[in-house]
Amino acid sequence: MIPRRAWPVIKLALLGAFILFTTLPLVQMTVLSFTATLAQDGLSLGETTLRNYRAIWSDPSLRAAFGNSVAYVLINIAITIPVALPAAFAFARLSFLGDKHLFFSFIAFRITPPVVLTLPIFQLFSVLGIVNSVTGIALAHCLFNLPVSIWILQGFIAAVPREMDETAFLDGYSRPRYIWKILLPQIAPGIAVTAFFCFMFSWVEVVFARILTTTNGKPISMALSAMFGFQTDIGMVMAFTLTSMLPGALLLFAMRNHLSRGFKVGRV
Amino acid sequence: MKQQDPRGWLFVAPACLLLGVVGLIPLVTVINYSFFEIFTLQSRFWIGTEWFRDLITAPRFWASFGRSVLFSTFVLCIQIPLGIALALCIPRGRIWAGAALAVLSLPLLVPWNMIPALWLSLMNGDTGILGQWLAGYGWPAAWKDSAVLTWVVILAMDTWHWTSLVVILAYSALTTIPDPLYQAAAIDGARPWQVFRHIQLPRLQHVLLMAVLLRFMDSFMIYTEAFPINAGGPAETSLFLAVDLGEEIKAFNYGPSAARSVLYFLIVLSVAWVFTKVQAKLDDPKPGVP
Repeated sequence: MIPRRAWPVIKLALLGAFILFTTLPLVQMTVLSFTATLAQDGLSLGETTLRNYRAIWSDPSLRAAFGNSVAYVLINIAITIPVALPAAFAFARLSFLGDKHLFFSFIAFRITPPVVLTLPIFQLFSVLGIVNSVTGIALAHCLFNLPVSIWILQGFIAAVPREMDETAFLDGYSRPRYIWKILLPQIAPGIAVTAFFCFMFSWVEVVFARILTTTNGKPISMALSAMFGFQTDIGMVMAFTLTSMLPGALLLFAMRNHLSRGFKVGRV
Repeated sequence: MKQQDPRGWLFVAPACLLLGVVGLIPLVTVINYSFFEIFTLQSRFWIGTEWFRDLITAPRFWASFGRSVLFSTFVLCIQIPLGIALALCIPRGRIWAGAALAVLSLPLLVPWNMIPALWLSLMNGDTGILGQWLAGYGWPAAWKDSAVLTWVVILAMDTWHWTSLVVILAYSALTTIPDPLYQAAAIDGARPWQVFRHIQLPRLQHVLLMAVLLRFMDSFMIYTEAFPINAGGPAETSLFLAVDLGEEIKAFNYGPSAARSVLYFLIVLSVAWVFTKVQAKLDDPKPGVP
């Protein structure tokens, strides 16, 4: 048997080992991003340099890709949250015919592999005229962001004591007014967590992003793909990858204490 | 008790509408295409279930199906226990827990198509940190020639990428356990294993079920991450289901790829169905357990 006192040490060692494993590829990326991987501009291979970052900054197409990614993620959040909120409220608070089945058919869309639906979504969006636009990607990403959002939000709403509803209704609040005035401030961290997860899944997704942007509106991931070629400047690729992680890392840092609170399934 | 209220449908209507447009319509389209030979989208011929017959009689399909199942099994056997273990290891106290979760989640922020590139450069024998280190021990730099080593790399990459999601899910379930339960266990002199088995594991089961489902689906349909590592090789030993489908879509074989998609969706649906059954069973309060 392992003595009781040894447990904290074992725990710390396991956590430390995995954090090392997690950071190793990221360290590799950071090192490469500051290294000249193509001999040009009077730099020799392997020299430490800021040239990769300067090259990103001076490339208008990369700046545009960054802007596109930000735009479609914001549009996606702006669509997803207002649609998910009432649905999450209904699933958390009300009982209606078929509610359980509906919840799981929503989840079924989350687990449908995107590559299965790429073809018809491309055609549908061509008809709607939103191919090659950030709106198209934003809408396509609702397919998996909406179910996850409903799931997270219903966990947060279910955690709000029911007495609060009852008091509000006794005070003569209508349901929409109650949601707006009382529920929303209560679950504000939940909305932030939901928005963060929408951001996270949308920002890194590539399957829809690729088929929906053949000429215009390319996001970061596609701009990165385009950098691979006969002579790939891997240092610049890594520099751009690192840059693309910065907004997420900032959000992650801001959200770190709320991150784990969102996922509650079943009876609360 | 929840209120019985049919107006609930009003609240979920916008979500149904949105998912109908981006999910249901495309799905119905795919099912429709799977019964046609499609030359252009204007000229197509009904051919019935021929694509499905072609597909399920092809050894290549079953080989990649088996490979995908095996891969998902590995993923679940590694990532779920590891995720739980790590969630249990995360120190108590806001600051450290937050910091640990944030660091562990960093891989989730890397664009998916860059993850193989990241690992390839890490494994590079000349410039990669891991590659150089392993080369110092005389490790075969030609790991692409070996099916086993290719799988090890893909599994390591997937574990690196996704374990933190399991950690977040498991940790969120652990935070719902009230302190008095632990205190009572300590007074009774429970061993750590007993605490885990009787206090922590029961609280984890709902969220874990979700984690298993999400990890199973995403690993079963691994697409962007697997192909660049070794292009399905050596000798197609890392060719997974979705990689096959991706190639077919790129080749504009609408009919066969639609049939393939429908089969995948049926697999997804049946797994989700089993999942709802298990979920319902968990929701049933067992006799004798408060």
